[in-house]
Amino acid sequence: MTAAGGLEARYRRLLRWYPPSYRGRHEDEILGVLMAAARPEQRRPGARESLDLLWSALRIRIRMILRGADSQPWADALAQVGVLLPLLMLLLKLTEFLSAGAHRSFGTPADILIGAYGQPGAYAFSFQANPYSVALTGNITDALTKGPLPALLLAVLVLLGWRRAAAVLAAFVPLAFLGISLTNGYTLLAGPRGDVTLYAYGLEALILLITPGTARGWRALRWRPTVLLAAATVAAGIGINGGLWPLFHAPLSRPFGLAGRMALRAQLPQGFIGRLFGVGAGQWGDWLLYQGTLVAVIAVALIAMLAGSPVSRRMLALLAIPFALGAVIYLCSLISPPPPASAGNALAVSPLVLFLLVAMVYWLGHGPRAGQDVPGRPAAPGDA
Amino acid sequence: MNKRPLQEPTFLLLTALAQGPQHGYGIMTDVERMSGGRVKLRAGTLYAALDRVVAEGLVEADREEVVDGRLRRYYRLTPPGGDRLAAEVERLRQNAAVAAKRLELRHRAMGDLA
Repeated sequence: MTAAGGLEARYRRLLRWYPPSYRGRHEDEILGVLMAAARPEQRRPGARESLDLLWSALRIRIRMILRGADSQPWADALAQVGVLLPLLMLLLKLTEFLSAGAHRSFGTPADILIGAYGQPGAYAFSFQANPYSVALTGNITDALTKGPLPALLLAVLVLLGWRRAAAVLAAFVPLAFLGISLTNGYTLLAGPRGDVTLYAYGLEALILLITPGTARGWRALRWRPTVLLAAATVAAGIGINGGLWPLFHAPLSRPFGLAGRMALRAQLPQGFIGRLFGVGAGQWGDWLLYQGTLVAVIAVALIAMLAGSPVSRRMLALLAIPFALGAVIYLCSLISPPPPASAGNALAVSPLVLFLLVAMVYWLGHGPRAGQDVPGRPAAPGDA
Repeated sequence: MNKRPLQEPTFLLLTALAQGPQHGYGIMTDVERMSGGRVKLRAGTLYAALDRVVAEGLVEADREEVVDGRLRRYYRLTPPGGDRLAAEVERLRQNAAVAAKRLELRHRAMGDLA
């Protein structure tokens, strides 16, 4: 390869950091400038030149996201996550309910409403063990985050295409929870799992406000990444809640019936997953069984998603936000000595406040055209 | 219209296009020449700046040529871009006039003291 050919190939590699659509319009043009400015016999891009290109690529990417230009992959990802997130939340509630019910008992409707899956009588007991107001506020906050009703309502509203009503509900759930919790002196830092739920609602409210509609999400959904992700999430939910255990090792409870039990036992031999992962019965084997299954399913899903389309990668990033924030909160809860309750609460609340602020700013700035490019405005040099 | 003072590279970029359409490398060399070698726009910075001024409607694409197998896109100032540059020139001129006048007064005062 000639010096010029090698230099050009290296410049092209650097230009890959630019957004694809921008590169499509300007790659040859920028390359022409770079080659014209290169010294004779220059073989490699200079350090300053490389940094300049990388920094500029970052600026262009940020600018395109902020101005909404070239945002098709993001718009598609947001539209799909807007539909997918409530469905996943509902599925997780369902798996929690089924696995806990299969383990123990399904409880009364009130128990289910407050998310006390597998704890029959928990609702009634809370009033016996606590003052009325304490039990009531505790049950309301549990119903908001642990119970299935908000997730069910949100999923229904999204499926019906009632975007604004869904956005209001998604914003109401965390705000109501925060209002009750903070006025009753609850410590938010102590409940990272509940925080993840709150962040998921906040993120959903934001997404519903900045995307033009849920119908687009339905249209854009494709079977491969979506089903893979849904399967991974449901499997994770089942795995976390021990749902695989009764399926493979424990006697199945009544809802499955004798015929179903026999059929399942015939199809799924006892200890199949245990043998698959090379672990036997016993405490450590059980632990490995749960963790190994979970890690394997999530790892396969992640790899498939990361290797997928740009939209899938963005969906993955969006779906990871509540979990990443929850992980940060969890790590903060491990700090010893623990931070003051007010500091912990402020930390736990800050992502939600940020979601809602961004949603408000975006809504005020874009109004009914939310999520759409401003017509007639060139996206980048050369579009004029 | 955005009335914030222009940054020097943007000011020089618009100035380079004030005389007529230019392609990227032409703008780059012109800016360096106009600034006496003090301001060197690298390719990444140049196109990030172009992206911004095009989005603001100050500059637009003029025409394309293929030279030695490579694409050359020429850019030109738009009427709002010309107005923006003129406003900036006027702002700088006024600031320079005020500064010059005060310096003259200062020199006089120092001369009187001497």
